Amino acid sequence: MKVLLVEDDGPLAQEIAGALRRENFAVDIAADGEDGHHLGDTELYDVAVLDLGLPKMPGAAVLRAWRKSGRQLPVLILTARDGWTEKVDGFKAGADDYLTKPFRIEELIMRLRALARRAAGHAAPSVACGPLSFNATTGVFELNGLPLKLTALEWRVLQCLILRKDVVVDRIELMEKVYEGDAGTDSNSVEVIVARLRRKIGHDLIETVRGRGYRLASGSA
Amino acid sequence: MFRHGSLSRRLLLTAMAFIAVAIVVAAVAVGFVLYRFVQGQIDQRLDSQVTFLSSMLRAGDDGRLSLTGSADGPPFERRRRGWYWQVTGPKNALRSQSLDGADLELPDASEIAARPPPPPPRGDRPPKDGRPKDSPKDRPKPGDGRGPDDEQLHYRIQQVTVSGTPATIVVSAPRGAVWGPLREAMTTLAISLGVLGTALVLAIMLQVRLGLRPLERLRQSVADVRAGRSERVPARQPLEVQPLVSELNGLLDRNAANLERARRHVANLAHGLKTPLATLSLSLSNPERTGPDQLVPMVDLMERRIRHHLGRARAAVLSGPVRTRTVIAPRIRDLGDVLTKVHAERSIALTITISDDVVLACEPQDFDEMAGNLMENAFKWTSGRIAVSAVLDSTMARLVIEDDGSGLRPEEVEKVLRPGERLDESAPGFGFGLSITRELAELYGGSIEFGVSDLGGLMLSLRLPRAT
Repeated sequence: MKVLLVEDDGPLAQEIAGALRRENFAVDIAADGEDGHHLGDTELYDVAVLDLGLPKMPGAAVLRAWRKSGRQLPVLILTARDGWTEKVDGFKAGADDYLTKPFRIEELIMRLRALARRAAGHAAPSVACGPLSFNATTGVFELNGLPLKLTALEWRVLQCLILRKDVVVDRIELMEKVYEGDAGTDSNSVEVIVARLRRKIGHDLIETVRGRGYRLASGSA
Repeated sequence: MFRHGSLSRRLLLTAMAFIAVAIVVAAVAVGFVLYRFVQGQIDQRLDSQVTFLSSMLRAGDDGRLSLTGSADGPPFERRRRGWYWQVTGPKNALRSQSLDGADLELPDASEIAARPPPPPPRGDRPPKDGRPKDSPKDRPKPGDGRGPDDEQLHYRIQQVTVSGTPATIVVSAPRGAVWGPLREAMTTLAISLGVLGTALVLAIMLQVRLGLRPLERLRQSVADVRAGRSERVPARQPLEVQPLVSELNGLLDRNAANLERARRHVANLAHGLKTPLATLSLSLSNPERTGPDQLVPMVDLMERRIRHHLGRARAAVLSGPVRTRTVIAPRIRDLGDVLTKVHAERSIALTITISDDVVLACEPQDFDEMAGNLMENAFKWTSGRIAVSAVLDSTMARLVIEDDGSGLRPEEVEKVLRPGERLDESAPGFGFGLSITRELAELYGGSIEFGVSDLGGLMLSLRLPRAT
């Protein structure tokens, strides 16, 4: 799962990013509204965390610009402005959730997971696929009822696949969702991760669709 | 005193303009009356000479005219002074001594006949329904001409017939006889009017100075208030500035009240923050015995207190009287949309039954704060159903928010809302918003009431004044 974090306060952004990465999220940070707008407009993210008081371009304007150009990514507004009128304005600009500072990081993580899950069309917090199940609230994978130990990259790939189970996920898209913006990647790395995953969850669950990408198939089970 | 933009200048300029117009009008009117008067005097004198001449005029059988006696009484005996007479017949002409043998130029006979008769002299008007004393055509007609020395003359001309012989009688006076006395009178008049105008302007300057003195005193009073020499502006003031002073004092009272409230608030906030800060600081100096479990609740407590006080400080109602009209239905719908999105995980059915004619005398931002907090509370506790409605009476509106949850019992809400315990964090999981909502509602002269809803949960109702 990849998060765009648009926050101008450096230390706070680093704290949030650190906590999100510990939860296996890939995080790109933008320190002002223009950067944030550009990243959100050109890169693929599962969810964005957007501050309202940003330099260069206010958060609400960034959000409106994304929505105007048809970007549907779920957006959580993270701001110190806690008035209801401001909340209403934020949602009217196209926000999907709103969290006021100060906040607990657990709360932010929980809400981001829920946003990503709902955006993928899953109403229930738990997503199952054969022997594999994913609790979207805690971020924990289970295989046959037992917790599955995964590296961050494996977790991202598997989360991306299970939220869109039975659908072919493009290889390029998978790469974009797994690696942070400044990470050097090589085109074979996704295949390496998938190979490692197959060793952990069995070879049948992840299908390779030649020339396109991968699919997590529940049909056979 | 008379700088640009000053009241004195404005008053003085207006008065001066009016005085100038009045003096010019007076001068013109008096001048015209004087002219008529002098002219009338001269005309009467000329006309009596015409009458005198015509009474002495005789015509011989040969058609020659003659006078039965001397008609050269003063001033017609003085040579070349403009006072002349001349009687012209078909055969001969008779002249005044003053003409000294020269001839008076006569206008054309037919032209004289065509001239309109002069108005009758004042005081000589015919009675309304009686016959005129003499018909207008019997009176001499006016005219202008030039004398032997090319001086301007004023004529009176009459055409008469003596024993069948036609004759034209012309009597003249110098133009100077009219303008001389007029000029003299007008000079005196102009001087008097000038003196009058100056006196009036001076009087107005004095009046403005005296009349505006209370304003200067008022300024001094306000300066005294600003400098801290007095608390309020003295209430005894001229009638015209009394309302201003009342408003000013009202403003001062309000400022004082706001200041007092702000001071009390800061004191409360300081107290509310310092206690958890002290605990926090003690805990931090003893790290081996404290973990996040002890620290996080204290940070939470401080945050809640800061939010409460900031919420109150932001209240728009504190900044002045409320004249806003807030239509609440769309705002409730917006708040409902937001909360439904935030609580998208749970399927909550929100029913809003509020018509668009519910209008409150409440700042929109404050209303959002109150309604948002109450609705958030309902969303927090509901098991799935929330109803928002409004009830109107003559002056107040009641926004009723009901849920089917099993959150707080009414007596618990009462405890939470009590001023002394409004920040009591022992109320389990209670949103901070209710106490600030209650404070805001009370600032508007409203209230929060609570009871048990038909849905099975809590019913909170927010009473606020309706917009008139």
